[in-house]
Amino acid sequence: MSTMAFRTVERDSLFTRLDFRPKLFMIAVITVIAFVWEDPLMGGGLALSVLLACLAAGVKPGYIRTVLWLMLPFSLILILTQGFFSGALITTLTGLQPDDFHMLFVFPAAWPLIGGAGLSWEGVQYALNIIAKSLTMTLVIPLGIFTTDVDTMIVGMVKARIPYKIAFVFSSTLRFFPLLFARTQAIIEAQRLRGLAFETMGPVKRLRVYARIVVPLILGALNESQMLDVVLQSRAFDGSPDRTYLHDSRLIAADYALFGLFGLFLLAAIIGYIVFGFGRFTGVLW
Amino acid sequence: MPEAIATFDNVSYMYPRSAAPVLRDISLKIRKGEFLGLIGPNGAGKTTLCLAFNGIVPQFYGGRFFGAVNVAGLDTLEHPISALARYVGIVLENPETQITATSVENEIAFALENLKVPRDEIHARIPRVLEAVRLEGMEHRHPQELSGGQKQRLAIAAMLAVRPSLLVLDEPTSQLDPVGAQEVFSIVQELNRELGVTIVMASHAAEELAECADHLVLLNAGQIVDEGPPAKLYTQIELMQQLHLRPPGVTRTFHYLRKAGFSIPELPVTLDQGIAAIKPLAVACRPQASEAQPVLAPRDGRPLVSVTHLAHTYDDGTQALQDISLDIHKGEYVLITGQNGAGKSTLARHFLRLLLPTAGEVRIDGVPTHDLNISTLARRVGYVAQNPDNQIFNTTVEQEVAFALRYLDTATGEIRARTEQSLTAMGLLDVRDRHPLSLPRGERARVVIAAILALEPEVVIFDEPTTGQDYQGARTILELTKQLHDAGKTVIVITHHLYLMAEYAERVIVMGKGTLLRDAPIRVAFHEADLLASTYLAPPQAVQLAHAVTEATGIPLQCLTPQEVAGALACDPTGHNL
Repeated sequence: MSTMAFRTVERDSLFTRLDFRPKLFMIAVITVIAFVWEDPLMGGGLALSVLLACLAAGVKPGYIRTVLWLMLPFSLILILTQGFFSGALITTLTGLQPDDFHMLFVFPAAWPLIGGAGLSWEGVQYALNIIAKSLTMTLVIPLGIFTTDVDTMIVGMVKARIPYKIAFVFSSTLRFFPLLFARTQAIIEAQRLRGLAFETMGPVKRLRVYARIVVPLILGALNESQMLDVVLQSRAFDGSPDRTYLHDSRLIAADYALFGLFGLFLLAAIIGYIVFGFGRFTGVLW
Repeated sequence: MPEAIATFDNVSYMYPRSAAPVLRDISLKIRKGEFLGLIGPNGAGKTTLCLAFNGIVPQFYGGRFFGAVNVAGLDTLEHPISALARYVGIVLENPETQITATSVENEIAFALENLKVPRDEIHARIPRVLEAVRLEGMEHRHPQELSGGQKQRLAIAAMLAVRPSLLVLDEPTSQLDPVGAQEVFSIVQELNRELGVTIVMASHAAEELAECADHLVLLNAGQIVDEGPPAKLYTQIELMQQLHLRPPGVTRTFHYLRKAGFSIPELPVTLDQGIAAIKPLAVACRPQASEAQPVLAPRDGRPLVSVTHLAHTYDDGTQALQDISLDIHKGEYVLITGQNGAGKSTLARHFLRLLLPTAGEVRIDGVPTHDLNISTLARRVGYVAQNPDNQIFNTTVEQEVAFALRYLDTATGEIRARTEQSLTAMGLLDVRDRHPLSLPRGERARVVIAAILALEPEVVIFDEPTTGQDYQGARTILELTKQLHDAGKTVIVITHHLYLMAEYAERVIVMGKGTLLRDAPIRVAFHEADLLASTYLAPPQAVQLAHAVTEATGIPLQCLTPQEVAGALACDPTGHNL
């Protein structure tokens, strides 16, 4: 069972050479801006930039595909709920009255319960804005995390004045995910080898079988975390910040440049939003 | 006499929820530069004793502790574990759970960083300890890229970097293949002999401990039963058998020779001693040659498993199997062996359709696996994986055995009947209402086997079933495979523990680097030492003694077990075999 291989980026790039501190700052800035911007076009642009940066940094396309695939049902639900039910919110944000909304689809008035309800273009735009926010926030994490070695991450976090214990718990959690994933795969495989054909099962039956994974997963995780505790203590680990580090975390010119770039970006985005209304939701995509 | 580096004074210990003491009145002295071996059956208290050296017992686990443990002048109750870590290095059984860092150098540095060793000093120590464990130049490798043996050596290096007074190793080779185990024993022996590192090692590897240890301590039920040099302990065959322990094969061979009437003043414990002692005996008594080389009897009918020109390349480009062709017929007992990475499990996974051939074909009872799905195949080919805990999903043994049947739309009456039958076959009726994970490891494996038998497969594959088991546990599982074989099942066992298989397998498939090196009767394959060595396997000591006899007399012997070697040599004064 392969464990602890959390860093998935194999390509050496600017991202892998940067210190973790500017990357943390970049994650924070992009998250804040994604949160602030409501315009789907600008939000979409930001999401696309992060996605391209992920690809440039070497994040595996398969991983990005999985993220997009997982987000698909969530996105469809958002489009439907916002498209049909966000009338009041759109009015608050844009001043447009429901009668002014551009309707993409309206149920015939004679239909019981849903008759007359309609999917508005403005509501869909608002849904696209939320999808773009979610995508940005979901992809910016691997951009920072996958391009940093876990041990380097700890040093960077400690230098960023994050308490050592928290940095260690964070890094241990990252190491734990692949382990958990591998164990889950092993258990599902064991279930298939008992003759269980997931492909022919209905969703309820499949869910009941999947639920059985939890017991061995939790017991295995508990056992392994206890073993890890024994190993750590045997290596003089007591969570104390009073320790030395093999590697130093020194900022280079590129790190300072990234700090500056994202600092300016944040400033410009906030001023643009407050003063000029850049990124505000207008309900008019084109 | 060198000074004592660690002492146990009347130590007794109970874990918080254990009903009885796990250690009882242990008094022990470990002297500087000594190599102490801890032997005993599973549950004897070896791991607990190892963890008492650095205060993990009782400081981490709690419980009731009596007596005193003193290491390098420090009482382990009065000093925190982090302080004791400076003096005691500990290496545990599973190489996977010991890795905490993402590079070899960070792994070594971790303890040093915690001990506030200055950065320059850490940088100076890393290459030195890597050299000591022969991992030079691997500083920047991810530990996951290392083999099992290399990971254990890395764990040893991480401990050595602290420069401890004592290195404690708890079953460090039980999860490794022969080459990994050999690497670890050779490094530990070198550290002890050349650098004077004091070693305490708990291990079931009798042959290796007999070679390396100065002193053995035999534990049973938490108590010291006896202690002394390997030549004293391993030669007490009756005591070993009584405690379900396995003395070295060479010692057992000479024990049987002694029983057959040979005058053996001292039983040898190492292979070199055994070879030196057996040659004059062989020349004196001229053993009877073994019968002509056995051949695999041709079998009629359609093979149950048929592999034709099978090749498999993984997504990352690793060519795991190349041009494998073989047939397995109904009722055979086949051993598949070879070093880690030889392709054994990859081959078996094709029988279950967990993998599909990149080239060639695998047929089960004439049907290509391409045309079958995993669940259909699972009803014909049962698979018992190495770790039973990943295969247990239910809260009682009975539910576990019936689990798959319920989801396979089996009639209620039939579920009951098949569950009952499987529980009876595996001797689990008395524990049918227990939680499977509350049972000992050996019984947990039986629960998984019972659950697979409930599907009534024709073929049962056991993947490394003896890894992590003591001798008794391993024998219990192998006896189960024999029962299944006797009941007409086709049994395939994947293992590199050759010494355990002599009494079970009929046919051996030797694999190396993804190719089939040999497919032959066990009596032939086990005697091809060069072939086995090419895939980093060593024949059992009894086989090596038989070779020594052949070398001394020119008479070919194809013995597999100590009893057979003794039987071949046992002769009356007129030269006739007894």
